[in-house]
Amino acid sequence: MSRIRREGKVEYRFDHPDAFRAHVRDKKSRKPVDKLVDAKEAVSRFVNDGDYIVYDFSSLTRGPQALIREVIRQKKKELWIGAEFTLHESALLVGAGCASRIDVGFLGYGNYIGQAVCDGRVQVYEWTNGGLALRILAGARGVPFLPTRDLLGTDNLDVSAARVIQDPYTGMPVCLVPALNPDVAFLHVHQADVSGDARIFGTNLFALEAALASRRVIVSAEEIVEADEFRKDPMRTTIPYFLVDAVVHAPFGAYPGSMPARYEIDLEHVDRLNAIRNDEQMQRYLDENIYSVSGHEEFLDKRVGAARMKELRRRATIIEGYR
Amino acid sequence: MARTVEFTDTEFMIAQGARLLEDGKTFFVGWGIPQVVAILAQKLYVPDVVQLFEFGAIGPQSILPFVRGTMGGPQNTYRSLQWLNMNWAFSYSAAGYMDYGMLGALQVDPYGNINSTFLGGTFEKPGRRFAGSGGGNQVASHCWRTIIIIKHEGRRFVPKLDFVTSPGYLSGPGARERAGLPKDTGPYRVVTSKALFGFDERTKEMTLLSVLRGASPDDVIREMAFRPRIAKEISEIAPPTEDELRLLREEIDPSRIIIRGERMTAPA
Repeated sequence: MSRIRREGKVEYRFDHPDAFRAHVRDKKSRKPVDKLVDAKEAVSRFVNDGDYIVYDFSSLTRGPQALIREVIRQKKKELWIGAEFTLHESALLVGAGCASRIDVGFLGYGNYIGQAVCDGRVQVYEWTNGGLALRILAGARGVPFLPTRDLLGTDNLDVSAARVIQDPYTGMPVCLVPALNPDVAFLHVHQADVSGDARIFGTNLFALEAALASRRVIVSAEEIVEADEFRKDPMRTTIPYFLVDAVVHAPFGAYPGSMPARYEIDLEHVDRLNAIRNDEQMQRYLDENIYSVSGHEEFLDKRVGAARMKELRRRATIIEGYR
Repeated sequence: MARTVEFTDTEFMIAQGARLLEDGKTFFVGWGIPQVVAILAQKLYVPDVVQLFEFGAIGPQSILPFVRGTMGGPQNTYRSLQWLNMNWAFSYSAAGYMDYGMLGALQVDPYGNINSTFLGGTFEKPGRRFAGSGGGNQVASHCWRTIIIIKHEGRRFVPKLDFVTSPGYLSGPGARERAGLPKDTGPYRVVTSKALFGFDERTKEMTLLSVLRGASPDDVIREMAFRPRIAKEISEIAPPTEDELRLLREEIDPSRIIIRGERMTAPA
């Protein structure tokens, strides 16, 4: 047996690969049925208290913000989030009492989330961006772990559950990170059909890996297209339908972040989020933007407004490469 | 009276960073100041440098002006050679294709180890919490040469870090290899708002190489909580040039999102 040379002792989410495979066999329908629902139904059916959630991409670019707001509106509890490029939404999820554990990633920025960590209101574990992405890849590959040549020699090893062993091939120390199979993945995409085939234009973090590795997958899309579109141009398919459990039509679903080639970031709104420093300001923001509206459509209609959306669309002038 | 140049500490660090890159090499770019270094360097000194970002942009040629609030958006993935994702992006560094990496830091120690996680207290109960590694740990682990950019303040140059987020030479010669990190990698330069440091080949300790024109080695060392090694000959770093400042202020960052900072002067 390989001797463990160093290991982090903190709690970590882990499923036996065979347990996950059994879930895929028994619970994931392969039928190309219509899965189009609104955000409210998607979140109430597929997100439970205590779930582990991952999402793609970043808070500022193509993040699933409409789905996150719905999670907050439904007051889900004790969530554990995998937060790779997480800025304001981790603060909102903690501020709203929804998330209690965060695997980091990059935990930026703003004083609210930093203070919440210092106060012990949220438990954080340090996996680093590359470590989390690799855990999700391991989850997608159906293996219990993957080796990597980073994290080594640093304190992250003690506040994650990475393990250092002797590599049986070279004899060198090598770092292992355990597979991550989240309960739910949120992916906001440019185009989807009603059964869940989905296209992302531009770069991503781990969209396909997260869809493969997660027990349930909710896709929110700027645009709903015909299923045949995917067959005509298979190089452009990011996620095939049989990985997906629910499809939500959510134009401006990444707001206040940007959607590449569709609309730009609303910096004024992001500044308001970053300015949140205490619970009073947090509650005011949540009341105004989330609790006081019935859902995404009303939020766009009453809190963002057509003129603002038109302006943000106008600012998205770089379209080369996105189609 | 001798002519002086006025600039911010950030402008000086960016200009220094840009002068360090080599043309025709690859450059793993961290978020924030390193992004602006990459743009300035590519415009002025190294047109064929290949930028790479952890969010999957391979070889982008960032559009001007630099905008904040994008992390993988069209502005910093513009005209890339290839669009991928994070696991592939770190494959380029892990396989040995990334020559340089550049990272900011909260604290740095004599062996170039980096803290970007918290200051004061303990991990469970930190005094002040910051963003953490992001992809910095991978950059500092995999790239052949890592450049650290850090404001020159005593509290940032410490004998012992509050938390080791990203690896420098760890505890000294051979320690990276013993930990299992890729051979022959490690910190290469530390760019500060007063000076430039390298690392002693034998002891792997941080070594003062150059100081800003008009400053003395003592000015630099006084503002450090450990005493660095000193190179036999200390060279002088020119303040930001007219070209560097014009590009930074007029074309790259006209709204001064990144380049703002403490005002400094140096003899022209």
